[in-house]
Amino acid sequence: MSKRISATNAIGPKRSHLIIHLVLIVGSMLMVFPFFWEVSTSLKTYAESISVPPAIFPSSPVWKNYADVFLTLPFGAQFLNTVIMTVARTVGQVFFCSAAGYAFARLEFPGRNVIFIAFLSVLMVPSQLFLLSQFQLMQRFDLLNTVTALALPGIFSAFGTFLLRQFFMQLPADLDAAARLDGCNPFQVWWKVMLPLAKNGMLALGILTAIWSWNDLLWPLVVNNDPEKMTLSAGLSTLQGQFLTNFPVLMAGSFLASIPMIILFVVFQKNMLEGIASSGIKG
Amino acid sequence: MTSQLVPPVEQGQRRSMPLPRPGTKRRSLRHGDRYWAYLLIVPTAIGLTVFSIWPALQTFYFSFTKWGTFGGHEWTGFDNYTQVVHDPELLRSLWNTVIFSVMTLLGIPLSIGLAALLNTKGLRWVSVYRAVYFLPVVTMPAAIALVWKLIYNGDTGILNQFLAVFGIDGPHWLSDPATAIYAVGIVSIWSSLGYNMVLFIAGMQSIPGEFYEAASIDGAGTWRQFFGITMPLLTPTTFFVTVITVINALQAFDLVYLMVGKASPAIEESQTVVYLFYAKGILQGDGGYAAAIAFALLALILLITALQFRAQKRWVHYE
Amino acid sequence: MTRTHSKTKRTAFIVAAGLAAVTTLAACSSSSDGGGGGGDGGSGPVTISYGVWDDTQGKVMQQIADKFHEAHPDITVKVQITPWDQYWTKLQTAATGGAAPDVFWMNESNFATYASGGVLANLSDKLDGSEIDMSNYIDIQTEAYTFDGSVYGIPKDIDSIGLWYNKALFAAAGIAEPTGDWTWDDMVAAAQKLTDPSKGQYGIVAQSAPQQSYYSTIPQTGGQVISDDKKSSGYDTPEAIKGVQVWVDLVNKYNVSPTLQQMTDTDADTWFTSGKAAMIFEGSWAAAEFKEIPYAAENANVAPMPKLDQPGGVSNGLGNVMSAKSEQPEAAWEFLQYLGSKEAETAQADAGIVMPAYKGTTDSWVKAFPEFNLQVFVDALENSTQYPSSMNSAAWQDPIELEFNKAWGGELTAEQAAANAAKIMNDALAAEK
Repeated sequence: MSKRISATNAIGPKRSHLIIHLVLIVGSMLMVFPFFWEVSTSLKTYAESISVPPAIFPSSPVWKNYADVFLTLPFGAQFLNTVIMTVARTVGQVFFCSAAGYAFARLEFPGRNVIFIAFLSVLMVPSQLFLLSQFQLMQRFDLLNTVTALALPGIFSAFGTFLLRQFFMQLPADLDAAARLDGCNPFQVWWKVMLPLAKNGMLALGILTAIWSWNDLLWPLVVNNDPEKMTLSAGLSTLQGQFLTNFPVLMAGSFLASIPMIILFVVFQKNMLEGIASSGIKG
Repeated sequence: MTSQLVPPVEQGQRRSMPLPRPGTKRRSLRHGDRYWAYLLIVPTAIGLTVFSIWPALQTFYFSFTKWGTFGGHEWTGFDNYTQVVHDPELLRSLWNTVIFSVMTLLGIPLSIGLAALLNTKGLRWVSVYRAVYFLPVVTMPAAIALVWKLIYNGDTGILNQFLAVFGIDGPHWLSDPATAIYAVGIVSIWSSLGYNMVLFIAGMQSIPGEFYEAASIDGAGTWRQFFGITMPLLTPTTFFVTVITVINALQAFDLVYLMVGKASPAIEESQTVVYLFYAKGILQGDGGYAAAIAFALLALILLITALQFRAQKRWVHYE
Repeated sequence: MTRTHSKTKRTAFIVAAGLAAVTTLAACSSSSDGGGGGGDGGSGPVTISYGVWDDTQGKVMQQIADKFHEAHPDITVKVQITPWDQYWTKLQTAATGGAAPDVFWMNESNFATYASGGVLANLSDKLDGSEIDMSNYIDIQTEAYTFDGSVYGIPKDIDSIGLWYNKALFAAAGIAEPTGDWTWDDMVAAAQKLTDPSKGQYGIVAQSAPQQSYYSTIPQTGGQVISDDKKSSGYDTPEAIKGVQVWVDLVNKYNVSPTLQQMTDTDADTWFTSGKAAMIFEGSWAAAEFKEIPYAAENANVAPMPKLDQPGGVSNGLGNVMSAKSEQPEAAWEFLQYLGSKEAETAQADAGIVMPAYKGTTDSWVKAFPEFNLQVFVDALENSTQYPSSMNSAAWQDPIELEFNKAWGGELTAEQAAANAAKIMNDALAAEK
């Protein structure tokens, strides 16, 4: 049951709700305004986008700007790269981390503490510490400017392991025991019994990883210089700083790049928010 | 992923295996467990070793070298670290990063306030508001930066034109050294508000309702209840959010890179430590120095996180 | 039963470990294969890569490459366009890994670094008996691409700077358009008449990009950016300081130009092409860009740079170079020779994109856009000096630009900025071996 602060006071519930709505609506407008501006500008002509006083709405929508996006950037290729990278990382992390998380949570084996501490140390360190070396690794394996290089380092996660370890630890131990008595080996226990139960945790991790992946900038920027092999983030970032910046096309491109995640969010809103909330709750 | 979130550190709880029952079967099953455990761990362990642990060690080595333009490196001892301590550019970037972090921390009270509002009993359209406030979180930083650049444009941007209505002559937000880092900071608050809000809502909802009922009976009003019950019991969540926010803010790169850029007159007063790392390590090919910068950053993060953990005893109430 | 169980487990574990080991070994061994580009040395069809950074020019380059393919059906050239911002980082990384494109664009700022670093193939030995005659190219460009007595690049193009102006704005203000007789003071006077803060209009957009500003004026005030022997900086002389001062005055004394911050928020070319600034110092390469923007195509024209103390100017030019580690050196050299041929160089002029470095081919370029008075740029070549560069230009270029930006912003005087710049350059030059 959700517990909420009571908002009743002497004046009456509705009145205070009104004020709250007012505040929230003003805030919402501030949140939404940049999106509105993005879409509106994407449909303006170049002159309208830099006009003083500003044109709030385009006089007549220039849909061509959206087509022009594909002329300025290899948008389709970059979109595909971003999707592949995101899916690879998400699927990879969900499976590998749940496997490792389960092992840490439930199994005893020599060296468990040592390995655990090693994972922990990875977590404490900012990712830039790995960057240069990861880059050289990609260079050595001839993977620069490939989609593989985009996804590879992000498939393994110490954070994901911890997150799922938490979830596994909260499941009753008797389930393990019962399954083992039935003759399952630990792998089967994990695969058949634990995974279905840890769905929430896996979903949470999956969502967090997907969002992070889609928006990741530094690594894709460093590892792939070829526009055809870049992700959308990196591709968009190359558009700023050109000599003649075509703002409407830029906005069209930005909007197109953001849509998939927004759609995903709208559809899976409940799951996403629950997943994030559960990642923060401490015992 | 390590750059985004840090999981809550446990307070010394660890489940152990159920006590062994007498019987050979149990014992040998547990003995054999190890192979399965290794199997389950192997992918992540190998991946982390190859892509995290080894790179960290190698970067440590790099920090004592100087890189040649087209490959190769020579040992230079502590030169890089000496340079780190004396480099005005780096020290300035540390300062910029601190300013940026403080700004993002300012977003936390805002998100607590929002969460409290959204948590009001009987409020309608909560899920709509939640979605709206969360939108910036799922949007690509590249897209966010580009649109805010337009909004912030000193001559044609909508912000200054809006201010002009009130007679205020707005500065060139992103090219003026005095305002750039703050302008970027505002965008950072804007884009993370919804995320923190969700965490705080969850935290608030885990507070047992009996506290509020008891307080109401005692005649405590909304504000009293908020400051007397909600805030104190929210401190574990607040602590968690603060730690994460600081760690992420100390590693800020995306927005500065996208919104200010190296040709801007404001760059020295806006570049964060990670931006400098990128500029030195990737753009200028000075990998050794960049490695030293990365370790300096690590030291900073560890220090600040440790301080926060020590301080938590003073203000965080665990049930 | 216990025994069988542990046996299965053990097998599974060993299999997994084995798989992991094999995968790692495979990954490691693939690295020893070296860079891309298969195929043998000369017989059979080969593909070579041509690295460029400009979108507009890239299309013309592809046309040139296709023509080459007709003459050499067994060589296919793949043009790779990398945006300017990424070009040099990518190139440096690729070169470090021995995987630079077979043929690629080089500019004067970076030439010495790459030549001395062993990345570029030495072309001197190949020149004898080839189709290339270095005397065909404009002298300062040939010099620019010679290192340590050997030729490492075939000059591709050359540029110069002119005073672009907005005919409509001049007409509206009733001012006569700039002529070849204009002095700097004439320009300042016109700019003042054309500046109208209430309309957000400026007489000139004084951008701080070096080639379009002090690199162009310092030769005209009798100074030098870098000494002829490339061992010391010329910035700290009164002549050079004057060459910088004239720009700083436009921004901070006469207030006829947008401020540096304004030019950062909105780039210099946009100020001009949107009709908010009446004049701009820009290069010959801008003709193709301006032509693509309707407003600019209609209203822009160009005149010679207004005179200062003596004739002078700066030219930059690209060169086509070949990777020293190319897997297809013969094919690459064939293509390189074609790129340096009169035919290919003229093709660039016909498309109007740049002035070729090949002597005597500028006519078709001038005719490419009759609405612009492009002869101005050809004439300017007579007095052009070489683009300032040294063995490791990267060490001083960006930092010096930042210093002069401070003068633009009014934080430093031109004199102070020049003194700082000289120090930066001298320190960097001293570090070069």
